[in-house]
Amino acid sequence: MTTVDGQPVPAVADRPRMRRERHAKLQDQLVAQGLDGLLLLTTSAVSYATGADAPATDSARAALQRPVAVVVAGAPRPHLFTPYPEGAPPELPADHVHLAVVPDLDDGAAVLAGALRELFGGAGGRLRLGADEVPHPLARALGPGIDVVPASSVLGPAKLCKTPDELACIRAAQHINELAMLDVAPLARPGNRQTDLTATFLRRIVELGAEGNGIDPIWQVMPASRAEGPWTVHGDVAFPLPTSPRILEEGDVVWVDSGIHVGGYASDFGRTWIVSDDPRPTPRQQAQFDRWRAVVDAVLARCKPGVSSLDLARAAVEADGGNRPWIEHFYLIHGVGTDSAEMPMVGTDLGEAFDERQVLAPGMVLVLEPVIWDDGAAGYRAEDIVAVTDDGWLPLSDHPYDPFAA
Amino acid sequence: MSDMSGRRGVTTSGVRPGEDLLDDPVVRADRRRRLFAAMADAGVDALVLGRPADVAFATGARQLWTAGARPFGPLCVAVAATERTHLLSVWDDGVPPEVGHEDLFGLTWNPARLAAALSAIPGLADARRVGTTSSTPGFPRLLAGAAPGAEVVDGGAALWAARLPKSPAEVERIVAATAVAEGALAAMVAALRPGASERDLLAVYLERIAAAGAPTPPTDGVVCATPTTGPVALHRLARPEPIAAGQLVALDPGGFHRGYEGGVGRTRVAGGRITAAHGELAARTQHALAAVVAACRPGATGAEIAAAWTATGEPPPPVPLAHGVGLGMEPPVVTVVPDVGVGSGIGAGAVLAAGTVLAVTGWVAEPGVGGCLERDLVLVAEDGPQVLTTAPRGPGGEAT
Repeated sequence: MTTVDGQPVPAVADRPRMRRERHAKLQDQLVAQGLDGLLLLTTSAVSYATGADAPATDSARAALQRPVAVVVAGAPRPHLFTPYPEGAPPELPADHVHLAVVPDLDDGAAVLAGALRELFGGAGGRLRLGADEVPHPLARALGPGIDVVPASSVLGPAKLCKTPDELACIRAAQHINELAMLDVAPLARPGNRQTDLTATFLRRIVELGAEGNGIDPIWQVMPASRAEGPWTVHGDVAFPLPTSPRILEEGDVVWVDSGIHVGGYASDFGRTWIVSDDPRPTPRQQAQFDRWRAVVDAVLARCKPGVSSLDLARAAVEADGGNRPWIEHFYLIHGVGTDSAEMPMVGTDLGEAFDERQVLAPGMVLVLEPVIWDDGAAGYRAEDIVAVTDDGWLPLSDHPYDPFAA
Repeated sequence: MSDMSGRRGVTTSGVRPGEDLLDDPVVRADRRRRLFAAMADAGVDALVLGRPADVAFATGARQLWTAGARPFGPLCVAVAATERTHLLSVWDDGVPPEVGHEDLFGLTWNPARLAAALSAIPGLADARRVGTTSSTPGFPRLLAGAAPGAEVVDGGAALWAARLPKSPAEVERIVAATAVAEGALAAMVAALRPGASERDLLAVYLERIAAAGAPTPPTDGVVCATPTTGPVALHRLARPEPIAAGQLVALDPGGFHRGYEGGVGRTRVAGGRITAAHGELAARTQHALAAVVAACRPGATGAEIAAAWTATGEPPPPVPLAHGVGLGMEPPVVTVVPDVGVGSGIGAGAVLAAGTVLAVTGWVAEPGVGGCLERDLVLVAEDGPQVLTTAPRGPGGEAT
């Protein structure tokens, strides 16, 4: 049986168990880092720490109507301050669900600071908290008695390896994303606009049970060559460009990228489509796909606990005949969780020494996104997701590569 | 600025990438002028911007929409001495020509490379006061490397001084965005029938705004079917249960146009059979909302706006009574709800500047009837409040 830390990945996540295990990991890390607690303001971190649901909002609204999480070292449960109390997990006691605060404005920050003094009351002396963002009004309201250090010191290690329930959430999110794309793909026809594809996608993910959309879905029409632009700082291809009402034309090569959320976890869908009433890749385009497939196969053949990221990157380069088959400003592989891109990342500008130190472990999630650029004939890009298991890997994505022959 | 033609990529369709989607040069130039004027007034030599809306205001660049609040980081740096805006962008697509290639710095995962990119920004190293619009525990150290002699200050006041009072062109964009929202409202009303769910209406909403070319929403919290028995609470997370005939359903859609947000909130009855109790609840909501709108005058304080609601005798609404609207949600945020440790709502001390646009929300609930929400967008004009929303009111809405 395929297991992660000896446990199978359930068909449906046990969310109370998932939240309990995450809280335990955060508590372990608070001890390891010698911190009194966490003060979390950013959406993905609050989602991880509390499991609270909130409607997807644009970034400006998300800043002024933030759910906020406070984790007190040694306490059995997190505290949640939220404009959306209906999204609080059912097991969170009423005295742990507080009215919304607005830490980005002075009087709102004062309310939060007052609540913090109560929650950490009795500690005396200085408090040392992990925080992800500290707006100036909050810094003023906290005053000199509270030291803040990056919350990533706690969140990073806690989030790196997923529990089986977390993996089930990612797989569920990916499944909804993929089902929606089956209904969108036939719209990749001449005369349709990019935003028409968005319209159908967003309707379908809600109908299929997504808890929120994470990113304006990408339907980027790729130029045949880098020289056609857009201009980039590094000379490599520009991706991902925001969607517009641009009209699709026969033969356009479209790189698709989207992400939706289930249980706070992101999916990540990537495929290459050809715009046509009867899409058929040319032999040259099919060869691009075959190269992509070879890279993914080579990486997966080495994918198991104990292998370093650098081994995976080298396998990818070797499989593509010495080319570096990913985009300059991205990576060969990234993780996914409550963030759409998180550790482990492989092939970034953190460098080979970083990749060499990063070793695969059970529960890590790998979004493989090699890019085969074939200057003059655009290129092929797709994303597949696997989880590292106790002795290999487990697919979390399952979607055809149409119109390419797999 | 040098001539950019020939240096910019051209797509296969012959259109300069993204440029047809940019806002007008006059609007962009006006926003830059206001930003640098506000920086001068605040004595800030450089301003580090970390939110997409701030970046849109300063540069006019199109950015990829992602949901939620991401950690603060240097997405854009405006330098007073050079009057240049330096933008984190790998490409020039969707970047206005006044932000040159030399003003772009690329995406990096490596803090050392980000520090080097900031250090390379002309004029930043000489800054004496650097404003930032937020901060993280690690950011002061990063900034100290690029601006070693600088005092780091709260740049929020300068930013909002520039952003909050809207130009007539910006108000036009908010009105256009409100038309997108009102189109979505009509689509949701058409789909509102007994048996439909809140999630069905959310799906209709998202499809409609995307088809209108404004592909992303201000929020997914746009529909709330209220119960006809028992206590009534406003919720924002859409539910899958079918809506029954006679339920009052709050519809609160928004939309974007060129980055500016519009919106409208109205309440309709599922199945269309309107009772006297529905009408009475709507009348109470409209009365209280009108009192708040009337208070939205230049110089008015948040306390006065909240008092206008309280004087009607209606209980405090569970959402901000008023908040700013522009490139998304903005300050002030005025609530009536008594908060822990404060004793009154927040935003009491905010003072309305002429040109501010507010979203004003009224909510009145009655056990046994349901809840009624109405939201209007209001321009705080020199000569008084001007309501920008036009959708019909009342539980019958379009039918009456």
